[in-house]
Amino acid sequence: MNAPKHSPWIWVGQAAIGASALGLWEWGARAGTLDKFFFSRPSDVAARVWQWVTSGSIWPHLGVTLLEALLAFTIGVFLGVLLGFLLARTPTAAVLLEPYIRMFNALPRVVLAPIFLLWFGLGIWSKVTLGVTVVFFIVFFNTYRGVKEVDPVIVNNARMLGASESQLIRHVLVPSALTWIFSSLHISIGFAMISVVVGEYLGSSKGVGYVISQAEGVFDTTGVFAGMTVLAAVVLMVGAAVERLERWLLRWKPESPIRAGERDL
Amino acid sequence: MTPSAVSLEAVTARFAGPGGTEYTAVEGVTLDVAEGAFVSLVGPSGCGKSTLLNMAAGLLAPSVGTVRIFGDPLRGINRRATCMFQQEALLPWKTVLDNVTLSLTFRKPRERKQSEELGRLWLKRVGLEEFADRFPYQLSGGMRKRVAMAQNWIAGPDILLMDEPFSALDIHTRLRMEGEILNLWAGSNKTVLFVTHDLEEAIALSDEVLVLSAGPAGRLVGRYPVDLPRPRNLIDIRAEPRFADLYRSIWTDLREEVLKSYERADYERRHAS
Ligand SMILES: Nc1ncnc2c1ncn2[C@@H]1O[C@H](COP(=O)(O)OP(=O)(O)OP(=O)(O)O)[C@@H](O)[C@H]1O
Ligand SMILES: [Mg+2]
Repeated sequence: MNAPKHSPWIWVGQAAIGASALGLWEWGARAGTLDKFFFSRPSDVAARVWQWVTSGSIWPHLGVTLLEALLAFTIGVFLGVLLGFLLARTPTAAVLLEPYIRMFNALPRVVLAPIFLLWFGLGIWSKVTLGVTVVFFIVFFNTYRGVKEVDPVIVNNARMLGASESQLIRHVLVPSALTWIFSSLHISIGFAMISVVVGEYLGSSKGVGYVISQAEGVFDTTGVFAGMTVLAAVVLMVGAAVERLERWLLRWKPESPIRAGERDL
Repeated sequence: MTPSAVSLEAVTARFAGPGGTEYTAVEGVTLDVAEGAFVSLVGPSGCGKSTLLNMAAGLLAPSVGTVRIFGDPLRGINRRATCMFQQEALLPWKTVLDNVTLSLTFRKPRERKQSEELGRLWLKRVGLEEFADRFPYQLSGGMRKRVAMAQNWIAGPDILLMDEPFSALDIHTRLRMEGEILNLWAGSNKTVLFVTHDLEEAIALSDEVLVLSAGPAGRLVGRYPVDLPRPRNLIDIRAEPRFADLYRSIWTDLREEVLKSYERADYERRHAS
């Protein structure tokens, strides 16, 4: 699938699918096929989102969630890239640490959330920590693999041309691992948002997760869906920004394998 | 007597083969390349030419034997040499100009302006000045080889190791590049160790041709000084009687090795199935 991506008809088609799903939902709720109490209505959800936005009541919550996600993402990416590079360049350390890294990665992170709440309290840091544990592993594994898979001929050539270890990292290893790191960033952004929202959901006094959990507490399905809508919109926007950055940084590639892969989905 | 630029002293290279076996690629090879000489290495495919070059580059330590560079035993990377690899070695994420000036970026990171000027000069020499801002994937294979050549020469090494640099080029570009190499090399006092599978190319360019035997355990089977006068005209030289004589005498030896390597490949194919 190559050409259709750029065709306006694809946009029309995509919009049509979304519109008919929403239309069906709205119709079902109005006709009484779907119980409004359990399923709410798209028009109600939209009205709620609109009300949140115009009254400004959502912004402090969204601000907190975004701050937590951003911190989790930044710290997680930083640690993941750093440790990925370190271990890829020191095979002995990699061998020694491997079982532990695999063990921690196998742990479902949600079970850690209550512990982080105990350790770091109800504020933002328990959520940030939860997000970091998720983002870190994704970025770490991708960076490690990216550095390991650098073409040895390219590395040898750079060394023959006089590259020091730090120059080798900057001019060869980082750019080469970038494709891998970027494919992990796409996923990490979403996961950072999800994990901090889960953290908020389990215990907090601010954030989109808190808003959702409050709405759920009073069986306000409209509020739950509205919270999810806001979350989805933000994730999509951030994702688009990352993609732009990626396209610029990977402009030396004839076709980014990541995007090619997505297209084939 | 001044020491040779490159000397391999009874070097052997062994690699781990399949299933814990050991594969001896080259065994007990001794060769000297005098400073300022242009020496070619020929031999059938898989005989260990690239392996020897990697040892001279310091990228591969010999299992047995010593490598000396200007008399000093080589440890780690050979800082006085660059290597034009048989495979693609340009950085795909850097433009043509940035690739050409790579060694200057590493050694003189502060002098970007001068580096760029020098880079453009070299791009002009290899006929690629309009392509300075392209990325390698936007060039043809032959153009990429020319970029690699500029990238190597701009570094100004005392020793140039070249692994089949022109085998991917069409005959016209190839003749041009061969001529360019000779021009650059003449009067530069640089030492060139040149790997090729093309015996004509080896004779036309070199002061001496070294013939390796078929692998495994490739050895040096002959050294042939090429006494053709310089400067050489690469087109006419192939028609000279002396050229034909040299070609014939080297080919008799090389032919035998090529046939051996065919037989071995045949034998292996039959035993594999
Ligand atoms: N890293 C390695 N591990 C295992 N075997 C290797 C390795 N490098 C080379 N060899 C083996 O050593 C032998 C010589 O390889 P080399 O690349 O030096 O050949 P060559 O003479 O350059 O061949 P060609 O003309 O095809 O480039 C080959 O049989 C190859 O399989
Ligand atoms: Mg080779």
